[in-house]
Amino acid sequence: MISPIHIITAALGIAFALGFSGNKNKHFAASMMLAALSFLTFISGQWLYAFYSGSQETIQVFTAGFKPPYSINLQMGYNEAVVTFLINTVGLLSAVYLYKTLFNLGKNALAVYLILIMGLNVIVLTQDIFNLFVFLEVQSIATAGMIVLHKKKHAVASGFKYMIATGIIASFLLLGIVFGYYYTGSLNIVDFVNANMTAFKGGSIAVFLILGAILLELKPFPANGWALDVYQSAKPGIAAIISSASGTAVLYVLFKLSEIGSFDGYQLLANLGIITFIGSNLLGIKQRNAKRLLGYSSVGQIGLLVMIIGFKPVLGEKFMFIAFTILVSHYLAKAGLFWLAGIIKKDNIKKWSDLRQKPFLLVLFGTFVFTLIGFPPFPSFFGKWELIMTLTAKSNMIWVAAVLLGSFFEGVYLFKWLGYAIKGEVSEKKTFKIKINEIVPVAIVGVLTYIIGFYSSSFVEGGSLINYIPLFFIAVLFLVDFLPAFVKNIIAIAGMSYYGYSFLPDLFEKDMLRFIFGAIFIGGGILTLIAGFYAKGKRKGFYPAALIMFAGLGGIIQAENLLQFFFAWELMTLGSYILIIRGKRSMPHGFSYMLFSVAGAYLMLVGFAMTGAQAGISLTALSMLTSHADLIYLLLAIGFMTKTATIGLHIWLPGAHAEAESDVSPMVSAILLKAGVFGLITLFLAMGAENAGTNSVLYVLGWLGAITALVGNLAAAFQEDAKKLLAYSSIGQLGYILFAFTIMTHLGWLTGITYSINHFLFKAILFLAIGAVVLRVKTHKMYEMGGLIQRMPFAFIAVLIGIITLSGVPPLSGFAGKWLFYNSVILKGWYFQGAIVFFAGIIAFLYCFRLIYSVFLGQLKDKHRNVKEISIWFIIPIYIMIIAIMIFSARPELVLQPIGDAIAGFFPSETLHWNDTTASTSLGYWSGYRVMVIIGIMFAILFAWLIVLNSKAKKVKQFNIVYSGERPERPETTHMSHNIYAGYNKALGFLVAPFISQFWNSVSEFVKGSAGYFRRIYTGNGQTYALHIIAYLLIIYLIIF
Amino acid sequence: MDIVIRLLYVFLGLFIVLNWGLLMSAIMRKIGARVAGRYGIPYYQPWIDLIKLYSLRDSITHGVMFYLGPVFRVSGGVGIFLFMPLIFGSSYFSNFSFAGDLVLIMYFQFFGMLGMALGAGEGGHPYSAIGISRGLSQFTTIEVPMTLAVISIAVQYHTLSISEIVAAQQGGIMNWTLFTNPFATAAAMLSLLGAFGHSPFNLVKAPNEIPIGPPTEYHSAFLGVLRTNAAILHVIEAVLFMNLFFGGAGNWFELIIKSFFIYFWSVFVGVVFPRFRIEQSVQWFLKIPLLFGVIAIIIFM
Repeated sequence: MISPIHIITAALGIAFALGFSGNKNKHFAASMMLAALSFLTFISGQWLYAFYSGSQETIQVFTAGFKPPYSINLQMGYNEAVVTFLINTVGLLSAVYLYKTLFNLGKNALAVYLILIMGLNVIVLTQDIFNLFVFLEVQSIATAGMIVLHKKKHAVASGFKYMIATGIIASFLLLGIVFGYYYTGSLNIVDFVNANMTAFKGGSIAVFLILGAILLELKPFPANGWALDVYQSAKPGIAAIISSASGTAVLYVLFKLSEIGSFDGYQLLANLGIITFIGSNLLGIKQRNAKRLLGYSSVGQIGLLVMIIGFKPVLGEKFMFIAFTILVSHYLAKAGLFWLAGIIKKDNIKKWSDLRQKPFLLVLFGTFVFTLIGFPPFPSFFGKWELIMTLTAKSNMIWVAAVLLGSFFEGVYLFKWLGYAIKGEVSEKKTFKIKINEIVPVAIVGVLTYIIGFYSSSFVEGGSLINYIPLFFIAVLFLVDFLPAFVKNIIAIAGMSYYGYSFLPDLFEKDMLRFIFGAIFIGGGILTLIAGFYAKGKRKGFYPAALIMFAGLGGIIQAENLLQFFFAWELMTLGSYILIIRGKRSMPHGFSYMLFSVAGAYLMLVGFAMTGAQAGISLTALSMLTSHADLIYLLLAIGFMTKTATIGLHIWLPGAHAEAESDVSPMVSAILLKAGVFGLITLFLAMGAENAGTNSVLYVLGWLGAITALVGNLAAAFQEDAKKLLAYSSIGQLGYILFAFTIMTHLGWLTGITYSINHFLFKAILFLAIGAVVLRVKTHKMYEMGGLIQRMPFAFIAVLIGIITLSGVPPLSGFAGKWLFYNSVILKGWYFQGAIVFFAGIIAFLYCFRLIYSVFLGQLKDKHRNVKEISIWFIIPIYIMIIAIMIFSARPELVLQPIGDAIAGFFPSETLHWNDTTASTSLGYWSGYRVMVIIGIMFAILFAWLIVLNSKAKKVKQFNIVYSGERPERPETTHMSHNIYAGYNKALGFLVAPFISQFWNSVSEFVKGSAGYFRRIYTGNGQTYALHIIAYLLIIYLIIF
Repeated sequence: MDIVIRLLYVFLGLFIVLNWGLLMSAIMRKIGARVAGRYGIPYYQPWIDLIKLYSLRDSITHGVMFYLGPVFRVSGGVGIFLFMPLIFGSSYFSNFSFAGDLVLIMYFQFFGMLGMALGAGEGGHPYSAIGISRGLSQFTTIEVPMTLAVISIAVQYHTLSISEIVAAQQGGIMNWTLFTNPFATAAAMLSLLGAFGHSPFNLVKAPNEIPIGPPTEYHSAFLGVLRTNAAILHVIEAVLFMNLFFGGAGNWFELIIKSFFIYFWSVFVGVVFPRFRIEQSVQWFLKIPLLFGVIAIIIFM
């Protein structure tokens, strides 16, 4: 083993040697530095490996051969090995990244860079507090040097501010050390810890000054203006070092020194950490400069870690895992993002769309963003999960709320940024070149996020059950993204089919409810993927995203514990976000989808954590709650309702569904929304089935469902955009479904399941058909279409079947839902809610008619006279689903009877009876089969009769209509479609005034406004910043003492 | 019972209902004319109209859906007839009511409406579309008090089966829903005004010099079929109200008397009040009729 002392000797030695190298051998000098950095990395790496394999114990190394206090001792333990390895790795990668810059700057820059990395190593390793001070200064000066290297005016200015700030901080630290030495008579950190200095006031001040100074080094909000300027103006490679390596090192120092404070000290740290986390992320919302934004994010993440250090006594044995996963996520993502910022060279985040010139970079960018927010499968997901679980278990609910609030703010700006990158306008010509030495470090940290994430899962309770096989499959699919779309489509369908085959037959035997939803998710997924054959070209990124969503959907069906469920849920959100945002104008909608999803997921997380604290993380734990059960149910219900787009949480849906691509809309509407439904029924089952029928949470949800149905349908009737109409209709339909399930009786649940199956079928048909029509006519506006029945009879029939099913007209299966609905509502006694839902159901006729009439009937437009029938790849899945509707309509008992049997276990009373094909309740009866037969025969007879009567009818041309002696001008002026329900709007339009959008807009304006207001403290003036630092310490001092 | 015998009785019932419907519409038109100080049509005018329409030599079509629209419409009318028990206690005139209950009938009304709307839509005439949009708009709120009334009587009698609802009203006039549940009856009878489409709720077809409304483009046998359907539908909807609120009918004579007065109620109101604009009629059903419906439910909660 190479002694850690050689980290110093090697670095110092090479740095000195560089001084002697002449200016001619630049390559040699640069290579020497890289070799030195590699050597440092190797040293810490080999120690890390030794500790990891368990063969090594912590060692102390003494300089100069004496024992302390006459010498400095360096400690190399597991923690130090990890931290120095992180520092040296990013040091090496950043040096590779900065190779050209450093090379051009020459030997001095190389030496300073080396000294910077060495300084960071020593402050981690050293056990001597004065030595710590010295090397903090060393790294400060080196850092300032590296900042100034940029040779731009603002870089020099910010370097100077950095010197002022760190100078002041250093003097506080030095004062603290002096006081500490006075009381302990030692400079060794171990002695400082053991001395219990906080027992007397002078000692407390020493502790205060030391910890305060270290904290200030971590750039706490709001005394961090100087740091933001540095992040903004330093070379991205250097900013990466400051954020990832320096941040990590100083955090470790704080961790090391935190024990010199008392328990109160920990609490204070936690408070200051969380203030930084929330404050910094809040202010980030208004920021548009990429590097400065990364600065805000860095400060925020480090604040979170400070809070975690402050919670060390509370977190106990989970502390190391939480701190490591969150730290390493920050470390990897921030290094990667800063490097990316250097590659793309765009300050304004709106210009980051240029990343799409190299899609590979966009993937990396997305990876880092999702890593920072804590999405699966990245390490921070597991870190945050454990953090929230542990905090909740120890009853720190306010802290949980604060952490999630800060994370949410961070999500706001990061997703906005990601949205710009994915959807913003790309420059025509290439704006940047990729150099191999710049891209390799980014790629390495990108890959590491996945690997570390994968390994993190096994350290979390229940994490080993997570099924990674679909993700590996998706990774492979991603690697072959260069193939043509149809090849990938075949692979995707094959993969989905196998995935379904692997678990659906088993579920069919064991759990009918899950099977139904599994079949909708996977079966529906395969059907909608078939439509994807229409796409030409490569369709980059589509298949990984779609399959991530379906893997998530499959995951929530298969989940056995809360972690698996949450993992799958977040995966589904991630995939669906990328799918949604692919649409042409879907950037703002994808953004609001993500915000609602993230907020909903956080509420779920809290609910899960509270459950876990009481009853463990098994999925059945939800039914074993002993306290706060209603609150937990409410949190989870709101979380799920963000996906079902219940009123109040629905504003993301219309845009997201309407602007998505033609075959994505059915995926996210017919299929994805059912995930929320599945979550809700899982929750309702846990609430104890029939016993829960009187639960007030359910009562409220029932009303919400009814109002959602009304408002959703009413709004749908007033849309001019065909896909928006369908999207609003989904809101309404999901309102029915929510309402039906909250009834919590056998019949109510059968209603809900019938509605769910129907909604899946008809909404997939309608969205596919309308989406395919839109592909042909190139507009969403219904009044610009018309008369298309002549050109697209197959699409017309599909939409006709779809709307008959939707509106619940017998004999199709929609009526099964309506009939069950009536029976369950009357037996439950929810008459008024039921009447509202019924009213909503009739309003559905308005938009059903509008959809089919405006698009297919009325007057054909001149420009559509030669338009072709919709693509065969849409017709195939549509007609498969039409066959399914026909079977379900004629023989509903084939589906409803087994489901009825399955849920009879939960709801034993007032069940639905089947006598052959006739269903009966204590109220009424109905035979789907007989109705179908009677109507079929009657229709055939009447049709035959009319054919006999009208056999002579002549087909006439379009304009041959009774027009009161006048002549119709043009199809456009004759097609009565725009604002067709003007009268209805006058009568009832006030019900759909956008109160809720206005509410959320004002919330968002308020947040942005306050971010803008508080941001003014960062004046850019070095003196002000110095004042901030001093005031910060002074205020803390006044609070404590 | 043998299916052939049953079918024969179904056709017999349909024949009676159709002719009674035609006669009744003539009577109502005559009443309307007399109120307006005119002499009015002869009683046999509807038959003459039908014969004329069915025997016109020329007819045109705008496409498949235009052709199918009247088929849907008549299927809707005849379908309601088929699922409706006509004469209480008569197994011959209870049609196919074993296939479904009140909910089936309420939803089956939409079948014809939807088909008609689509057929008229393909006619391509803007007035048709205007008529449909008005009809659908008005229909949404007409159904609200009706639904509340239906829920109320379903709660009252604890059944959704029409035969059982009629059975529960037997044994004297005071057992009729009219007296046992007056608010539900009131709500339903007000919504009936809209369903029958006489003034003030007749903007949908808006009788005028210029034909306006869904059937604008229909003519010859198409219109004949629609007229036939209208005759059946008027009777059968009156029968529905009769079954739900007025004790049903024990024989054909009772059915004819009761359906006449139920239908007369809408004509009576129609000749007294002028036509509403569409937003007025949409809102009207959400006022007093809705209130009655709500009270009807509160009473039985």
